Amino acid sequence: MSEKNNTVQDKLTRLSELVAWFQSPAFALEEATERFQQAEALAEEIEKDLTKLKNDITVVAKRFDSDES
Amino acid sequence: MENVQLTVSDFVALVNQTLEYAYPVVTIVGEVAEFRVSQGKWVSFKLKDDDAVVDCFMSVYQLRIPIENGMKIMVSAAPRVNAKWGKFSLNIRSVKPVGEGSIKKGFELLKAKLEAEGLFAPERKRRLPRVPRRVGVITSTESAAYADFCKIVNERWGGLAIDVAHTQVQGDPAADQIIRALKYFNSLEDLPEVVVIIRGGGSAEDLMTFNDELLAREIAASRIPTLVGVGHEVDHTLADMVADVRAATPTNAAEILVPDKGEIIRSVRQQVTLAGHRVMTAIDQHIARTHDQLQMALRRISERLNDANDRLAVLRVAVNQVNPEAVLKRGYALLRGEVAPGKVIEIETYKTYISAEVKDVRKK
Repeated sequence: MSEKNNTVQDKLTRLSELVAWFQSPAFALEEATERFQQAEALAEEIEKDLTKLKNDITVVAKRFDSDES
Repeated sequence: MENVQLTVSDFVALVNQTLEYAYPVVTIVGEVAEFRVSQGKWVSFKLKDDDAVVDCFMSVYQLRIPIENGMKIMVSAAPRVNAKWGKFSLNIRSVKPVGEGSIKKGFELLKAKLEAEGLFAPERKRRLPRVPRRVGVITSTESAAYADFCKIVNERWGGLAIDVAHTQVQGDPAADQIIRALKYFNSLEDLPEVVVIIRGGGSAEDLMTFNDELLAREIAASRIPTLVGVGHEVDHTLADMVADVRAATPTNAAEILVPDKGEIIRSVRQQVTLAGHRVMTAIDQHIARTHDQLQMALRRISERLNDANDRLAVLRVAVNQVNPEAVLKRGYALLRGEVAPGKVIEIETYKTYISAEVKDVRKK
C-alpha cells in the first residue's frame, strides 16, 4: 500500500512538472497538445489511485502494561 | 507477644512486616511541607493536614511532577518504620497533585523547568512529511477519539500503513504505557515516519497523564517526529508542547497528518484546466497573429494591384493616341493598293471605304 502512495506522490510531482512547462518560456504550441494529453491522462490516473487506495490499520500485538510484556 | 523477647531490629522488622501485610499500599491526600531534595537523588517532605503530619521519602526518579510546599497532593505509598532512625514514614511510589490549584501549580512548575531546558524551542521542532507512508499511533483503541481519528484519516487519504499501540490514556499506569509504546516505535528497524499520540477531551485530572515529566522527556527525545493531539482546543499539555507538532484535537491530528484527497483531486483538475487554458490562449494568439499576417499580405497585394492599374491607365492613353482609328476619326484616310496610273486603290476614311482609279502619279 505504501508503495502505491509513493507512486501517487511521484505522479503528483510529474504532473506539477508537466503543468509548469505550460507557463515556462519553453512552451511551444507544437508540443502543447501532446503534453496536455499526457497531463490529462496523469490527472485521471491520480484521481483513480486516490479514490481506490485504502489504509491498512493494524493494532500492535505487543502489550505495554508492564516492562516485561 | 507479651512474653516474647525481641531485639529492636526484630521488632522493627515485625512492625514493617505487619504494616506490609495490612497496608501494602495506602493512598493519602495531604499538603506538602518542608519539601527537600538531597544529593539530587532523594526527595523528602512532610505530608500534613490540620491535625497530623507524616514523613515521606522517595527517589527523584519517582517524582514525575514537581511539587512545592503548600501543594495539595495524593500519594501512593508503603508505610514503614525506618530501622536506622526509628522513625515512621511513607515510602512514596507516586505523587499527583489534587485539586485545580495544585494541578495548575504542578503544571506551571514543570513547564518552567522544561522550558528552561529548551524543550519547547521552535528550532527543535521537526516538520512532518507531507504524506507519510508509515505511521505509529499511540492511544486507547477503545476511545471515541481513536474512532474519530481513523474515520477522518480514512476519509482524507489512503495507502497508509498505520500501526496502533493500545495503551491507557488516563490513570496512573497511562504515562508509563505511553512511554513504552514510544520506545517500542523508536526501536523498530523500519521506523514509522510519524508517531501520533491522541486522546479525547477530559477533566484536568484525566489529562494529567500528558503532563508527566518522563513522558514529556520521552516525546522530546523521540527519534521519530511526533504529533500530539490531546483533549480539546483549549487544553494545553506538556506532551503537546514538547511534540514536534501540536494538534488541537485528535480529529485535527488526522487533518494535520494527511492531506485531503478531495482537495488534491480538485487541485489536480484545476492544474489541468489551467494548462488547457494556456493552450487555448496560445492557439488564439496564433490565430490572431496569422490573421494579422494575412491582412498585411492582402494589403500589399492590393497596393501592388493599384500600382499596376495606374501604370495600365497611362499605357492605355499612350496606346490610344497611336490607334489608327483615332487618326481616321481626326479626318485622315488610309490608302491601300498599287499607286500607279490606271490602278484602283482603296481609300478608308473614318466612316467609309472608297475605291478610286489613279489618274496621275507625280513626285513631290
